[in-house]
Amino acid sequence: MTAMTLQSISSSDIASVRQSHPQAFGSTFSTITRWAIWLSVIFYVIGSLYYFEVYRLLDASGRALNLIAAFFIWEDMGEWQYRQIYIGIAQTLGMAFLGTLLGTLMALFIGFFAARTTMPFVVVRQIVRRILDILRGVDQLVWGLVFVRAVGLGPLAGVLAIAVSDTGTLSKLYSEALENVDRKQVEGIRSTGAGPLKIARYGYLPQVLPIFISQSLYFFESSTRSATILGLVGAGGIGMIIIERFRANLFDQVAFVVLNVLVCIFVIDWLSKKIRARLIGETSH
Amino acid sequence: MASIDVNAGPQPNDAVSVFEHHRSELRRQRLGMNILFIGAFLLALGLSIWVSRFYPDRLAAGLPRIFEYFGTIMPNLQFDLLFEGRGADGRAVPGSLTFWYSDFNVYIRLIVETIFMALTATILGATAAFLLCFPASRNLAPNSFIYIVSRRFMEICRGVPEILYALVFVFAIGIGPLAGVLAIAIHSAGALGKLFSEVNENASMRPVEGIRGVGGNWFEEIRYGVVPQVMPNFVSYTLLRFEINVRASSIVGFVGAGGIGAELNRVISLYSDDRVVAVLLLVVITVTLIDLLSEQMRTHFIGRENLQ
Amino acid sequence: MLAIKNLTKSFKTRNAVDNISLDIPDGQMVGVIGRSGAGKSTLLRMINRLAEPTGGSIIFDGRDVTALKGRELLEWRANCAMVFQQFNLVGRLNVLTNVLTGRLYHHGLIASMFQVFTPAERAFAIRALDRLGMAHTALQQADTLSGGQMQRVAIARALAQEPKIVLADEPIASLDPMNAKVVMDALRTINREDGIAVICNLHTLDTARNYCDRVIGLFEGRVVFDGPPSALTEQAAREIYGAEADEAFSESMTSTTLKPAGTEVPAERLTEADLQQRARAELLAG
Ligand SMILES: Nc1ncnc2c1ncn2[C@@H]1O[C@H](COP(=O)(O)OP(=O)(O)O)[C@@H](O)[C@H]1O
Ligand SMILES: [Mg+2]
Repeated sequence: MTAMTLQSISSSDIASVRQSHPQAFGSTFSTITRWAIWLSVIFYVIGSLYYFEVYRLLDASGRALNLIAAFFIWEDMGEWQYRQIYIGIAQTLGMAFLGTLLGTLMALFIGFFAARTTMPFVVVRQIVRRILDILRGVDQLVWGLVFVRAVGLGPLAGVLAIAVSDTGTLSKLYSEALENVDRKQVEGIRSTGAGPLKIARYGYLPQVLPIFISQSLYFFESSTRSATILGLVGAGGIGMIIIERFRANLFDQVAFVVLNVLVCIFVIDWLSKKIRARLIGETSH
Repeated sequence: MASIDVNAGPQPNDAVSVFEHHRSELRRQRLGMNILFIGAFLLALGLSIWVSRFYPDRLAAGLPRIFEYFGTIMPNLQFDLLFEGRGADGRAVPGSLTFWYSDFNVYIRLIVETIFMALTATILGATAAFLLCFPASRNLAPNSFIYIVSRRFMEICRGVPEILYALVFVFAIGIGPLAGVLAIAIHSAGALGKLFSEVNENASMRPVEGIRGVGGNWFEEIRYGVVPQVMPNFVSYTLLRFEINVRASSIVGFVGAGGIGAELNRVISLYSDDRVVAVLLLVVITVTLIDLLSEQMRTHFIGRENLQ
Repeated sequence: MLAIKNLTKSFKTRNAVDNISLDIPDGQMVGVIGRSGAGKSTLLRMINRLAEPTGGSIIFDGRDVTALKGRELLEWRANCAMVFQQFNLVGRLNVLTNVLTGRLYHHGLIASMFQVFTPAERAFAIRALDRLGMAHTALQQADTLSGGQMQRVAIARALAQEPKIVLADEPIASLDPMNAKVVMDALRTINREDGIAVICNLHTLDTARNYCDRVIGLFEGRVVFDGPPSALTEQAAREIYGAEADEAFSESMTSTTLKPAGTEVPAERLTEADLQQRARAELLAG
């Protein structure tokens, strides 16, 4: 061991360290690969944006400014139909609540059929999973449109759309939670001579129920957000009002409605945080 | 050993009666809260049913029509004609795959566009989220003003659905995929930013303090103290977000923001035939394939130990 | 030369450091001892300016360190290396990069964001690692090392800073006796060979006696002893350690029975799996 300073490091010192620890100086190959990856990502983004005609943004500034101004300058507030607006928001919340609840109930049942731990038959499991893939692969808005075609305009179509798409995703999440349970606890119940249903009830459910509830709460919040747009295809809720005001260039009202929806979402987010904390004792956020 | 008679009456101070006493006390404590909870739940349920008019009779009337509708959109394939090509006059034979998917080329072009829209939007959104998430983490923000501003900004980005942004962008810059890309990028920036900052808030602060101790500035504290810890999670979340964004970019076309959505909307709204299932099936297959691919990438890049 | 004048740090309920004045000449090896909560960590963290003093001043070579701001503050931290009880390395970076972080102050923003270090710095870092017998681990990820190895890497990082003074906050409290000896030997060698002053918080008497030129005893934030180890009588030790005195005497080099203060219980963290699960729900929920 000898004292030294950075200044005292000569080129011959560097050479000798390079000799003894060649990798410490980084290999040119890995440097080049890293740069090549970054460059190709950058080129891809620039290229794709160009393909998507990003330069149109330049022409749009005037229009965009008008639009932004219209969002913030609220006129004739006395004439807005608040009753209609708040009924629409209430309907949105109701649709989200019912849809998520139905989805949760379905997933509670289907989840067990899609998890490796609870469904030993590969064929059944695979069929259930493929069906879930279909439910998830189609966006909620598309389901909304399909159900509007099937049962007509109105919130019923919206509730069904939310229920179907939530069933798909929640079942998948539930089955993942079921696959992650502590097997020892399940074995303990099995050793008492319990049948499959009782094993599900006492071996699995106590472990996964907090996770299930927490996940359903996330979906309630998210469904509220997506329920605001189901009205776009006539599936009920506030979306109908948003699109109608938008088309009539009443942007201030659109901003007002969206602001109200945002407040609702923040409240739900906050409430579900509280409920989660109570249920699981989750410490963070 | 004395045998225990479970049917024996309660005796003072015996284990069972002590237990029963505690139990009834506990139940009394919980009762109030539980009643409140159940009451609120039932109230919410009742109100929801009422405002969305989700009544049994409407449901009973609606359900058969759902099956009826799904019957009409199923493809009408005939096994013996399945692989029949186009005839001499250029017309496909009804019952063949060619007939069912007569617009196949259009669909494929739109699906490719959809995927690229999602990819670009994910990269843009993740980049924005990466830049935003550090000031929006409670433990890393330079001061509470920056923290609150960046937090709220992300929450607003996340709170508005993509398609509403798409609506606005279509109005501002016209019909086309650019509006969709920007809309999805903004929403992803908010959603990913929120997740990223949660990861940051769970990161160990020791390395950060170590870097501060050697005289590193805020950027260096982040770059050396936090980024190496959180990067695997960031990558994994971004890949998951890509899956979501493929789905999202398949619908922004409903308002004219590019991708397969416009075709989906047109087909489902105008026709009640096998074209509906033809498009839907392609979308489902694409989304499922992307899911599988991104799952492979996650396990490959990040290693199994970082996934559940 | 480091001069501390009337340095005070008050928390809501108490003064963690209470009006301390000290002069520490260049090249001295100082041991700071005292029971848990005596204010040792707070003192060192204030010298490095990781904690803000509520009163008094710290003067190094005629310059008031407590008044420094911005870039000058960072420069002071770069000159005043800190070794932590929990090592405070970046677990996911390799050992070499961890040592190279000691050079960060000297780099521009772009260079440090892209991890660009000069060959001379790399050679210097390897030399520093070599002095601690750790050069063979240079490319290993830091969190794969044992505690003793991590602390040696942390000392190499301090060396890479070319510090004017080294502060070590209970550097051996998390180590087994063998590693504790290696780490203390390394600190003393740096002190002797490079002529750098080392201020080392120690929980136990023996280590301070064996390694230090000068021992400072803290009790409830005040200096109750300041002198050579030979002057550290049993009477003086009783004053420093109070009720814990007997234990302090019987301690060997590291303490396993006594928990040094500042080993804060890590805040409850979500596990990786928890995070992943929640994130999946949030992500899939869109
Ligand atoms: N951030 C803080 N807030 C409040 N009190 C603190 C804080 N940090 C340290 N203290 C208190 O200051 C005193 C000295 O702590 P510390 O310097 O860590 O002691 P030592 O390192 O000698 O064990 C202790 O009583 C501790 O409780
Ligand atoms: Mg301490």
